[in-house]
Amino acid sequence: MKKFLAIMLIVIFSVFAMAATKISVLVSPDNADALQWLAQEFMKKNPDIKVEIVPLSWEVLYPKLLQDLRSKAGTFEAFTYDVMTTGAVSFGLVDLGEFMKEHPELLPEGYDLNDFIPAVLEEAGKWGGKLIGLPFYNNTMLFYYRKDLFEDPKIKKAFKEKYGKELTLPTTWEEVVDIAEFFTKKYNPKSPTEYGIALMFPRTHTLFYMYLLFFGEYRNAPLGILRHGKADLEYGEYFTEDHKPAFNSEEGLKALEMMKKLMAYSPDPLGSDYGETIEYFNQGLVAMVPQWTGPYLMFKTTLGADKVGIIPMPGRSVSGQWALGINKFIPEEKKIAAFKFITFATTKWADKNKFLKFAVAPARMSTLKDPGVRAADPRVPALEVTYVTQTHRPRIPEEPKLEDITVEYFSKILSGELPLSIDTLNELANKWKEILGK
Amino acid sequence: MERKGKRLVPWLMVLPVIALFLAMTIYPFGFMIWASFRDYDLSKGEETHFIGLSNYFQIFKDTTAIESMKFTAKLLAIAVSSELILGTLIAFLIRGVRGEKVIRSALIIPMMVPPAVSGVAWKMLYNFAFGPVNWFLSLFGVSRISWLGNSFYAQLGIIIIDIWQWTPFIFLMIYAGLQSIPQDLIDAARVDGADWGKVFLHIELPLLRPLILVALVLRIIDCLKTFDIVFMTTWGGPGSATHTYSFYVYKVGVSFGWNIGYASALSVILLIVSIILVNIVFRIVRMREQLGFGGE
Repeated sequence: MKKFLAIMLIVIFSVFAMAATKISVLVSPDNADALQWLAQEFMKKNPDIKVEIVPLSWEVLYPKLLQDLRSKAGTFEAFTYDVMTTGAVSFGLVDLGEFMKEHPELLPEGYDLNDFIPAVLEEAGKWGGKLIGLPFYNNTMLFYYRKDLFEDPKIKKAFKEKYGKELTLPTTWEEVVDIAEFFTKKYNPKSPTEYGIALMFPRTHTLFYMYLLFFGEYRNAPLGILRHGKADLEYGEYFTEDHKPAFNSEEGLKALEMMKKLMAYSPDPLGSDYGETIEYFNQGLVAMVPQWTGPYLMFKTTLGADKVGIIPMPGRSVSGQWALGINKFIPEEKKIAAFKFITFATTKWADKNKFLKFAVAPARMSTLKDPGVRAADPRVPALEVTYVTQTHRPRIPEEPKLEDITVEYFSKILSGELPLSIDTLNELANKWKEILGK
Repeated sequence: MERKGKRLVPWLMVLPVIALFLAMTIYPFGFMIWASFRDYDLSKGEETHFIGLSNYFQIFKDTTAIESMKFTAKLLAIAVSSELILGTLIAFLIRGVRGEKVIRSALIIPMMVPPAVSGVAWKMLYNFAFGPVNWFLSLFGVSRISWLGNSFYAQLGIIIIDIWQWTPFIFLMIYAGLQSIPQDLIDAARVDGADWGKVFLHIELPLLRPLILVALVLRIIDCLKTFDIVFMTTWGGPGSATHTYSFYVYKVGVSFGWNIGYASALSVILLIVSIILVNIVFRIVRMREQLGFGGE
């Protein structure tokens, strides 16, 4: 009997000793497929670690992160976080700089922090001078257009006859207005598309970043810089250099006027979000659409690569990066396993392959320079320009509250419920000051 | 000793349920009351502190909270009354119709669909360019409607979804009630010369009143909790046109605010309003009985 018990104990201990360390990684759906594949690759090389990828929608992921980190429950080991939530979740993230110093042996061979695009590493990875995350999905917005229509000689001729100028690719929103009108059947019965442009101005966080596409152009123009100063990565373009609201200004007003002007050429802008605008472009209902990097694969599959053109955003784009971080409130051995995984998922090899296989935009300079990548994906030239010129949302912890009240005001202004005036914007700015305690 | 043990057994058997009830209902309820008097904001990450009734006073200054109350009241008034009328009418009309069982089963399908799923489905139905609703209306020469982007239509859209989803519930209750009315009462009335309308007004409707009352109370409570449909379709927009009260509580407490104290105060108000409304319904019925309009 004693012998049997001893054997059983040995067996139980051995099973525990050999059991894999399991880590859960909470991710947004945009990152899920790529991370799932990377997890499989990682587990082949690290059979002692089991990685579980848990996709959660944006609306669920962020509250779940905050709730769990605040309660220090440690129900997951690593997670992807949206750049604008950096300030809010930073307190619950492991200081990776320190961790790397303590465990240099855990870094994958040749792991190069300096290869990350500097602005991306700064914005997505750092908070309060500490490295708290590793850039994973360097998302940004691009301007997609129907290349076949823009290059059609008959259409080009018709455009010149109507507007007295060539149909060229737009670089400003003012240029987009004429093109959008030309491609809208209501204003041009011969238009090959029913509407000119698909815009998404719904009552969700979408409207908060869409505004920056327009405001960024005026806010970052020489006169805007003169009035508001340069924007920093912590507060972004919504703020002045000394961290006061910048949108209650001539530039802020112009942005909303432009949005309202373009709404006439868009199918249901106030009722459309991400999914709808992708569908409008995919189904040939519109000639242009500002969208994130991801939908390109859908456009390519449905319309065909030859029909889809990509240029940097007229005006300015907006960054939408995602980084991978480690939960501070978990045991050390789990931190080690999570560290191994997130560094593996952000190596040069991973960065290149996740872009080629899953269209997850690259965060490393080596990927952008890679001849194979450049030949395989037409987005790269537009991405290079965009990463330098794009605008940024605030990353401060109060961001979600600022976002919600702003979207409410903008939505009411665009639907005509509130007047489009500087007084309305001042009222909103005062609400911001209340939230910020200024 | 043995007797004492026997006495303990029932207590031990119900103990898990009591513990569960305390943990899942009483504790959260007490916590909500406690939090509603405190500055408890998770996004600030500071210690909570007592602020008296400040959270409650804040509600009356909060325009979005007031707008969400207005829309919820609208939903309550239009959707619940429509459901009550339609559900009752359908229950009366399908009796004795050929294929009654098939119709009955088909009618309750919307109720079986989870609200979140029906929200997604209706979002597609309401799609501006490709949605079947606009396509159907176009057959009658109606131009495309922005169902989710226009304040009026967005509110109407939410009301339509609610009516579609919950009329079957009223129907089912009334229909079940109708089956239990003694046939001899109806036969006796018919012998006395009562027509269809009189039987309905003087026999069936009074006998169904307790059921209608229960259905009404359940729908009022449920309507005050409307969240999923708004979450899946309009996200409360445009502006704050389709913010229901429960949806706003979610936003303050979970999605954008993380202000647990203020969300708790909003929830306490919701609880009080629910109790008042339910009591009003019961009182109206009791008053009618006292005045002799009861019918029995």
